[in-house]
Amino acid sequence: MNIPYESILFDGVFWAILGAVIAATIAGIGSAIGVGIAGQAAAGVISEDPKKFGQTLVLQALPGTQGIYGLLIAFLIMSKVGLLSAGGPLDITMAQGAYLFASSLPIGFVGLLSAIAQGKSAAASIMMIAKRPEELAKGMIYPAMVETYAVLALLVSFLMLNSVQL
Amino acid sequence: MSIARMKKLSVIGLVSSREELIERLMTLGVVEITDQEQKLSDNQWCEMVTRDADENTVSVYDGQIAKASQALEIIEKYSSGKKPLLRIKKSIALQEFQKMLEGEQGIGEDITQINALSVRHAELTNASNKTEALKLSLLPWLEHDLPLEELGTKTTDLILSVVPVAVDVDQLKKELAEKAPASVAELIHSDTEQHYFWILCLKTERSEVDEVFRSYGCSQVHVGNLTGTARENVRVLERKAEELADAKCQVEDSIRSYESEKQKLEIFFDKLVILRNRAAIRKNLLVTKKTFYLEGWVPASAAAKACNLLAEIGCYYQIEDPAKDEETPVLLLNGGFSMPFEAVTKLYALPDSRSIDATSFFSLSYAIFFGMMLGDAAYGVVLAVVTGFVLRKYKLEGMTCQLVKMFFYCGISTIFWGAMFGSWFGDIVTVVAKTFFQADVTIPALWFFPLEEPMKLLIFCFILGGIHLFLGMGLNAWLSIKDGRPWDAFFDVGLWYVLLIGITLLLVGAVPQFAKWLAIIGAVGILLTAGRNRKGFGKIIGGFTGLYNITGYLSDVLSYSRLLALGLASGVIASVVNILGSFGGAGIKGILVMMLVFVIGHTYNFLINGLGSFVHSSRLQYVEFFGKFYVSGGKAFQPFRENTRYVDILKEVN
Repeated sequence: MNIPYESILFDGVFWAILGAVIAATIAGIGSAIGVGIAGQAAAGVISEDPKKFGQTLVLQALPGTQGIYGLLIAFLIMSKVGLLSAGGPLDITMAQGAYLFASSLPIGFVGLLSAIAQGKSAAASIMMIAKRPEELAKGMIYPAMVETYAVLALLVSFLMLNSVQL
Repeated sequence: MSIARMKKLSVIGLVSSREELIERLMTLGVVEITDQEQKLSDNQWCEMVTRDADENTVSVYDGQIAKASQALEIIEKYSSGKKPLLRIKKSIALQEFQKMLEGEQGIGEDITQINALSVRHAELTNASNKTEALKLSLLPWLEHDLPLEELGTKTTDLILSVVPVAVDVDQLKKELAEKAPASVAELIHSDTEQHYFWILCLKTERSEVDEVFRSYGCSQVHVGNLTGTARENVRVLERKAEELADAKCQVEDSIRSYESEKQKLEIFFDKLVILRNRAAIRKNLLVTKKTFYLEGWVPASAAAKACNLLAEIGCYYQIEDPAKDEETPVLLLNGGFSMPFEAVTKLYALPDSRSIDATSFFSLSYAIFFGMMLGDAAYGVVLAVVTGFVLRKYKLEGMTCQLVKMFFYCGISTIFWGAMFGSWFGDIVTVVAKTFFQADVTIPALWFFPLEEPMKLLIFCFILGGIHLFLGMGLNAWLSIKDGRPWDAFFDVGLWYVLLIGITLLLVGAVPQFAKWLAIIGAVGILLTAGRNRKGFGKIIGGFTGLYNITGYLSDVLSYSRLLALGLASGVIASVVNILGSFGGAGIKGILVMMLVFVIGHTYNFLINGLGSFVHSSRLQYVEFFGKFYVSGGKAFQPFRENTRYVDILKEVN
């Protein structure tokens, strides 16, 4: 199959897929880093007191949500352009594809940075748990404050994506 | 208002009846006996009374408790049985409790035995580690077949030596042959780090050999005072290691043989704790030669019981209400539905005793928020069934019980919202019907599908948020009024109500004229009054900064958009799981793929979103709701009672 590159570049579906890629990849990278940071802190605490495994695991999981939000937007874009249905992709214009691409940017970038910041905050909470295990609830709230912005970005991405008419 | 009202109790009694009183107060378990440090620093009191402390008894019991707890830990560690997931306190009748303790002497001996066995085990572990280390150090010398004690003859030296693996051995041998021609060197073994070899040289050439060694970084090996060849030694050590391992197994077996005594030990432990606490509480008592004095708090509802007891024993007592601003210990009293949500309050911090307990005001909204965020009816069923089962099967108490019950209610709320939004394991029914039966089936949403009308749900979230925030502000106003500052309530809350309602009406577009004036009145009012407690120019600035707080309310309301976002997240991820499962197609293989993906995917989604829902509904309470009015910092009410770890002792009521 020999497709000229311009036709790919001006293909709406290509841009839509690129949007899905941005959402899933960038937000996913952020969560991976964030969970990694928290995991390092958790392993340090466990070396002192293995009984805190459950508590630290809960905190470590918190920065993982951005990746899920990214997956969510990626999935919605793919299903919107018909990639997941049996009939194959819909025929959409480049402008429509570009809109979908743009709608992936908020969750992609906010997801990346907020997950890393949340990972650091979760790591600090894990350190706190090492000394005061009874304060787990407060330790969960600090990372949750960071997540607010990922939630807002997810919302913006979702509303933009949802308002694109195909 | 559900902080229990406390009464202050002061008691004077005879020392002769002290033990009986302490014992029966403990059984009753409703009085917190407070520390009297302050009275002791008061001169008038100080002349008459001293602190009644019995440190010796306490430390004797503490020692015994430490030993018993150690023994229990050891039994647990080597126990062959499965460890239970939740530790449940057993109930036991007082008579049985005492019967179990009849062989108390024996229990004490058992504890000593178990601890001695544990020490023996540690010694054996230590010895076997040493043996292993020695064996490892000898392994490279296996090929060296001279006895290890052989260090040379009258005129020769036999040297065992190692050199880093980076050194070229041939080069070393060559140089050795040049400098000390009468020496013999032989490589025995090489591993990833070192070369091992022996050298035989004349005593007269020893200094030359040492010099070559130094230049190559060799170091001589001393194997200590071992006799025989390395091979013989390793064999002996291996036998020894086996013997040690056997001995260790035996020790473990004998520890395990005490497993049947575990319950007795636990009861013994609890008894020690009770006795220790009875002795320890005496440091809160003040005594003269013949009398004692104690002070404490008792919830008003239990005051009568405590008074009866005191009268029966023949103490003089006085019971009074706390002074208006006096801080009392905090005991939360919530009934029915709100009770389990106390856990959320406790996880934050107890309210100040002079403030209010918010539990009953947020319990419903907590369940609603949780349900909307998890948002899947089937997940709700799973949550409710699991927690319901745990509640029926186990007798939980305290915080664990509250949390489990809370999740039960949240599960029910999740079922409700999931059904409203038509999500049952995402769209599993649709997907299964389509994949395996080529049919088109959808479970209808009772209300609407959020994916189809997200704006509708978003606005609904904001409305819920608005109600939640207004409730918080209302509580703030109520606190001000209760405190005798009705104008503060009007300025700080009333005017905001006016402004915010005005703005909301403007946004909706209903009665625009009325809404406009409402907003203007509110804004001007805030501008004029927000700086009322400041001086001079500050009054004006205060007005503006007060009005600027509108951004705070905006962000508070926007924060509730997480209800939509998290609800979508769990719903959409559930659909992703279902689609992945359907990739296996129809047929047996397809069914297997579907089942596998279903179990793994939905378990993961349920756990991660359950956690998210818990965290974020807590956050909405802590930050948005509590932020409006909550005063924390109360001290928990800690009545003097039987603080046992393993059993509840049931006493017959006569």
